[in-house]
Amino acid sequence: MYNDEFEKYYEEQLIQGGTTCCPGCGGPLFWKLALKTLGKNTIVYGDGPCAMCALRSIKIPHYAIHFSFIADGATGISAALRAKGRNDVTLVSSGGDGASSDISFGKISAAAERNENMIQICIDNEAYMNTGIQKSGLTPYGAWTTTTPTGKESNKKDIPMIVAAHKVPYVATASVAYPQDLARKLEKAKSIDGFKYIHTVIPCPTGWRFDPAKAVEVTRLGVDTWVNPLYEVEAGVLKVNRKAEAKPVQEYLGAQGRFRRLSEDQIAYVQGEVDKKRDDLLANDAKKIIH
Amino acid sequence: MSFTRMMEGNEAAAWGAKLARADVVPAYPITPQTELISNIASLIADGTMKTEYIKVEGEHTAMAAAVGASAAGARVFTASSSQGIAFMDEPLWIPPGRRLPIVMCMVNRSMAPLGGLRPDHNDSMHQRDKGWILLYCENSQEVLDTILQAYKIAENPEIYLPVGVCYDGYFVSATATPTTVPDQAKVDEWLPPYKHEWYDLMPDSYKMPPPKSFLKQRIGVAEAHQKAKKVIEAVDVDYKKHFGRGYGGLIEEYNCDGAEAVLVTMDSMTGTAKDVIDEMRADGKTIGLIKLKCFRPFPTEKFREIAPKYNAIGVVDRNNSFGSAGGGIVAVELARALYDLSERPVIANFHVGLSGTDVTMNQIRYMADETLEAAKKGKVKQVVDWVETHDLGEVM
Repeated sequence: MYNDEFEKYYEEQLIQGGTTCCPGCGGPLFWKLALKTLGKNTIVYGDGPCAMCALRSIKIPHYAIHFSFIADGATGISAALRAKGRNDVTLVSSGGDGASSDISFGKISAAAERNENMIQICIDNEAYMNTGIQKSGLTPYGAWTTTTPTGKESNKKDIPMIVAAHKVPYVATASVAYPQDLARKLEKAKSIDGFKYIHTVIPCPTGWRFDPAKAVEVTRLGVDTWVNPLYEVEAGVLKVNRKAEAKPVQEYLGAQGRFRRLSEDQIAYVQGEVDKKRDDLLANDAKKIIH
Repeated sequence: MSFTRMMEGNEAAAWGAKLARADVVPAYPITPQTELISNIASLIADGTMKTEYIKVEGEHTAMAAAVGASAAGARVFTASSSQGIAFMDEPLWIPPGRRLPIVMCMVNRSMAPLGGLRPDHNDSMHQRDKGWILLYCENSQEVLDTILQAYKIAENPEIYLPVGVCYDGYFVSATATPTTVPDQAKVDEWLPPYKHEWYDLMPDSYKMPPPKSFLKQRIGVAEAHQKAKKVIEAVDVDYKKHFGRGYGGLIEEYNCDGAEAVLVTMDSMTGTAKDVIDEMRADGKTIGLIKLKCFRPFPTEKFREIAPKYNAIGVVDRNNSFGSAGGGIVAVELARALYDLSERPVIANFHVGLSGTDVTMNQIRYMADETLEAAKKGKVKQVVDWVETHDLGEVM
């Protein structure tokens, strides 16, 4: 039977009810949630990793070049908005993990230094998934990719803290597994002038090797094990948003095929790193960490 | 109010951007372009110019920001040189295909390795295959006037292509020549505000051209180049009517009446060459000069029209195209342009002024004599002549 409600629901969404993304991809889910908060009066500039597939389906102005062009075109759009006296438009610049941590890392740093008026979002699925699962600067330690067949030997770059060190007004990590927290952070970013940075680790069943049906579950485990903690840095003050008791990292790692080769020692190493990070965050909670 | 004073090329370029009311200038400094952008910064600081000047962190970002701003409805100006233009290579491909009318000064400087800070044309000429219109200027006045013409050409809805306004580092960029800065109101009358008919990124009036196939996009750029030849000439004529100065559009023919041979020059060497041609004419030698103002689109039809008048054309290439079909970039282009003619002149080719060495009067006289000899004999001595390897009795 034809369902009117269903049709109406999709009409109201700012993303079409169909994308070319893989099943279980966090990209469309993120944009669906994000655009609900950002609203129609938004311009999105930039590429994603595979999240590009998701961006092709959004119903608001979108302009992209390649993934070596992150934050730069948005800088131009931002200047054009100023020249036109349009301070009512929200400008979002998007980039994947490879773009944000590798090829366009300098561009994000420069836009942060200039305090460009935009929300820079890193859609982090932890490898070059679009080209077929190659290691990026945001691939975590131990993860299998086609260019790290025995597991990545170095650690993941801490981009949110690096951006925070630029003394930008707002930095936050967010997760599609905690949509209210994500919405609140985008709402806040929208209300602040200057450079805002949102980092979100999104699930990639294809590259991470797990059942697409468990996409949100696995993403939530990432947060709950403190592998991908939720926090924000506003005007240099750290606020840890989710302080729940940490689940063992093994629960997160064990849910994904890409960590299958990890030895017990390696898992212990990951647990140790996560513990240090958690202790550090909690010790500095509600404190000014960027002076 | 209009005023005239001695002005370096880079300052004239800054005035060009100011008079065009460029909304956004994303730029990164590189010698010899630097005085251009510092002049823009000064014009903004003293309130003369109202523009969003983005001090970007590199040329790649400069052109990417230019793309974003242009698509978002801003008139954009930028500038670079040499290695900076090379660093911009990836984003330089974007504006032609996306049909964004960005204007960029390419202040010519030779490329590494061993390239000094001084000019040759390889940095801008290497943009020849991307779809940029490339115009070359001889002095400060021409730089200013060409920037204004460039916006008029670029923003023509039949064209919508980016334009590179090229001029030699130092010889033009840092050499003061008398320059008239036209009245702003008069420029405003001639150059209406920028509005792209295809694009609008603003959420309340958003529009994008429908996606095209790669082939259709490329054919679109090629057709726009073909149309641009007429538009460039028409804009020059119109500019002359309004401001009293014109440059011939695609090419300028100088002292060509009755000439049996001509030299083809570009950029700053043309001024020196004109003096030499005058002297040689006074001595009874039948040599003329063609200044190649517009290198892209290449004025094929124009050359085909005039070439049969001459027995030889001496092409002066201030560039290298290693391993080419024969000689420098302009010579190869010209040979292709004339190939189908049943009667065509021989083409002599000279490399000179590479890495900013001075192109002297003696060298021009030498090239003119060689071309005249080729005209008489109906053949050239060698495919390409590296003029600087000859001792012409002067210190280089």
